[in-house]
Amino acid sequence: MTVTAIHPCVEALLQGSRGLPRMPLAWLNARRGAALERANALTVPTARDEEWRFTDITPLTRIVFRPAAAAPRLGMSDIAQYIAPEATAHLAFVDGVFVPELSANAGLPYGVVVTHLTAAFGTHAAVIEPHLARHAAFERDLFAALNTACLRDGAFIWIAKNQRCPTPVQLLFISTQQETAAHPRCLVVVESGADCTLIEDHVGVGDGAYFNNAVSEIVVGERARVQHVKLQREARSAFHIANSAVTLAKDATYTSNAVTFGARISRHNLAVVQQGEGATCRIDGLALISGRQLADTHTAIDHARPNGKSAQLHKCIVGDAAHAVFNGKVLVRAGAQLTDSAQQSRNLLLSPKAHVDTKPQLEIFADDVKCSHGATVGQLDTEHVFYLKSRGLSEERARSLLTYAFGAEVIDRIPVPSLVEHLERAVLEQTQARPQAGGEAS
Amino acid sequence: MSTVLEHLVNQPYKHGFVTEIEAETAPKGLSEDTIRLISAKKNEPEWLLEFRLKAYRHWLTMAEPAWPNVKYPKIDFQDIIYYSAPKPKKLNSMDEVDPELLRTFEKLGVPMNERAALAGVAVDVIFDSVSVATTYKQKLADVGIIFCSISEAVREHPELVRRYLGTVVPSGDNYYAALNSAVFTDGSFCFIPRGVKCPMELSTYFRINTQESGQFERTLIVAEEGASVSYLEGCTAPKFDTNQLHAAVVELVALDNARIKYSTVQNWYAGDERGKGGIYNFVTKRGLCKGVNSHISWTQVETGSAITWKYPSCVLLGENSVGEFYSVALTNHHQQADTGTKMVHIGRDTRSTIVSKGISAGSSNNSYRGLVKIGPKADRARNYSQCDSMLIGARCGANTFPYIQVQNATARVEHEATTSKIGEDQLFYFQSRGVSPEEAVSMIINGFCKDVFQQLPMEFAVEATKLLGLKLEGSVG
Repeated sequence: MTVTAIHPCVEALLQGSRGLPRMPLAWLNARRGAALERANALTVPTARDEEWRFTDITPLTRIVFRPAAAAPRLGMSDIAQYIAPEATAHLAFVDGVFVPELSANAGLPYGVVVTHLTAAFGTHAAVIEPHLARHAAFERDLFAALNTACLRDGAFIWIAKNQRCPTPVQLLFISTQQETAAHPRCLVVVESGADCTLIEDHVGVGDGAYFNNAVSEIVVGERARVQHVKLQREARSAFHIANSAVTLAKDATYTSNAVTFGARISRHNLAVVQQGEGATCRIDGLALISGRQLADTHTAIDHARPNGKSAQLHKCIVGDAAHAVFNGKVLVRAGAQLTDSAQQSRNLLLSPKAHVDTKPQLEIFADDVKCSHGATVGQLDTEHVFYLKSRGLSEERARSLLTYAFGAEVIDRIPVPSLVEHLERAVLEQTQARPQAGGEAS
Repeated sequence: MSTVLEHLVNQPYKHGFVTEIEAETAPKGLSEDTIRLISAKKNEPEWLLEFRLKAYRHWLTMAEPAWPNVKYPKIDFQDIIYYSAPKPKKLNSMDEVDPELLRTFEKLGVPMNERAALAGVAVDVIFDSVSVATTYKQKLADVGIIFCSISEAVREHPELVRRYLGTVVPSGDNYYAALNSAVFTDGSFCFIPRGVKCPMELSTYFRINTQESGQFERTLIVAEEGASVSYLEGCTAPKFDTNQLHAAVVELVALDNARIKYSTVQNWYAGDERGKGGIYNFVTKRGLCKGVNSHISWTQVETGSAITWKYPSCVLLGENSVGEFYSVALTNHHQQADTGTKMVHIGRDTRSTIVSKGISAGSSNNSYRGLVKIGPKADRARNYSQCDSMLIGARCGANTFPYIQVQNATARVEHEATTSKIGEDQLFYFQSRGVSPEEAVSMIINGFCKDVFQQLPMEFAVEATKLLGLKLEGSVG
């Protein structure tokens, strides 16, 4: 189906790109222009598109989102609860706008830069130019194109060669206003031999139906290591679409822990390309949803070079009438011999109306590889429940404990202890809540 | 190692001869006139012509599916012969069958005379578009089983055909099913009445002979309450440089407590080593477990065809019904296979098992595409799927696309997939024990496919093992 007229929803979202000042950097203007062209040409995905078959975003297109007006005044006390104590550096963006007063990036070691893009354009243009809008492809993705067309500011992290950022860096994207759209952007460049832990945190304050359309690009150099934690705790009526594009050089290591709690409809596209030999990635995800939430995770691991390793565990806990979607593609290109890849999709349905669509997908064009995937959908094991009951736990308590344990497997792998503690508590609270209560998102 | 394997995988096709036999063919091309001609040739009743025309009109509005993971040039549906039949003769016994035809089946190893008695298999033979012979009719009729060509069934048992035709695969189900519904020429019909256990294996043998013809057969099997049947299907075609289209539809209906086991060994001509010629095998197969405790089992060994596009499916409607799918798909040279199954759980306590083994060699591409769907009312539904792929050589591809859709919290669904290759160390181990590399490969592959071969009736299991041998390891014998 081709729609020649631009969808009113896209039209409104593009409002954000109109008022943008031209940047002093010609290449940036050119990339934004190219993205704008694609955003105008691409149609809004529908269930007829294979990639969006199970995720109906009609509710998103029915709302006309405008660019956020002046950022509301949030104080440090409003956001303190979200900041992990381990993170000595954090950047805060409120409704897509960088707020220096709420951010802290002083006292970082030599060779570690944590700042916002507009500031970095002046100082690190040579680092940014080869990467910004180069990894997250916008040719065929409307939302990546929209984000890039509206690109003005964003987070920028650069770790110089062989440097370590000793503590996690937290990027906090806070949405506060009803019916607004924000397009958060991150660029993380970790040079060869360097090391960095990143917390990308999307938080909703209040209960508005806003739209958060994020794009992150993460570039991991030779022998470098990046640990990426993505928390999605948007408001329960919000829309969250995120594209994460990760490029790994030779012998690079990338781990991702993506935790999805919030939003009415959320979609996370995570694409990892192993561009160098011997790269390793470990991708874990947990979606804990209830009510009428929809959480969709699409991951793609591209083994383009030999000796790559990938391991993935994706779990969904689905209550009430919620709907979880998982599509995990593993591509082993011709010549990518000795690839070792394992993928697991585990789904727990807690209520009769809960609903899961999962599609692990293997595409292999090399013969000397070890690839496997597994998918399960089910409910709690009655024998496990019986065992706990035989030890004196109530049925409800036993179920809550088992559900918690199911989710904890993913959460325990997060490399930030305070987040592990916080998230485990959140899972326990939600699983203990009676089905109708739903539980709060954070 | 690669030279051993390369040698093994390049075996010639043994069924590639053409039989010079007088045939009556309709002119090329597809139109309402062609359909009326087919219908008139077969003296069909008005309702069937209407069924065909309705399907044709619907087909005109449909688009060819683009989602399968296969590539081929656009098919010109006007360049196909839709009806080709050996010159009609009134046949009273097997002795009157054209000796040329009998020799053909002799060459193919299809038992049609006394050898059939020894094998204990009743055979219906379809040559191009027309059923030429059915054996053991009388013996089957004694227990009430109807086994004949579908054209004969339309004449003799119109009420049965009318009641079930198109109920499992509606005429507008998909592009090729619609085309088949419009132009199907023959196929087998099998009806097992209430409580009857079919005393022998039933078998249909399909052969495409005429160049530029398409084969559009239609098979309908109905097992009434408590009945059971095991049905085998084999296929071959001569070698031509052009591609031929084979678009069949198979419908199975199992009522309460009935069991249907459907086995296929598909060895259509696959094209030469450069990918020229071969059959396009675009088939819709679906079974409906209509009654309680009914059971439908598909077993397939897919070794032929330039392109295979086929998903034998089970719709599990009856409570406690069971669906099974066992498949071995082997692709070599430039073959492409996109095959798998659909298990649609609608009733309570329904169970399904999927075991799929894909072997790709040469520059071929082998995809498993499966759907397991658990409807909201399918309480306690259970599925177990396993798909394993083996790659031989560095130019082939193996893909898996399992769709799992669950709308019921009490369901349990498991899916597992692995990919492997024949390891240097495995071959070395065999050789250290005095087994030649050829034999080692054959043993490893047979071991890989064991779970599926065990499901085949004995005669077919032997044939399937031989066929894989023919395809992969002929240099041994």
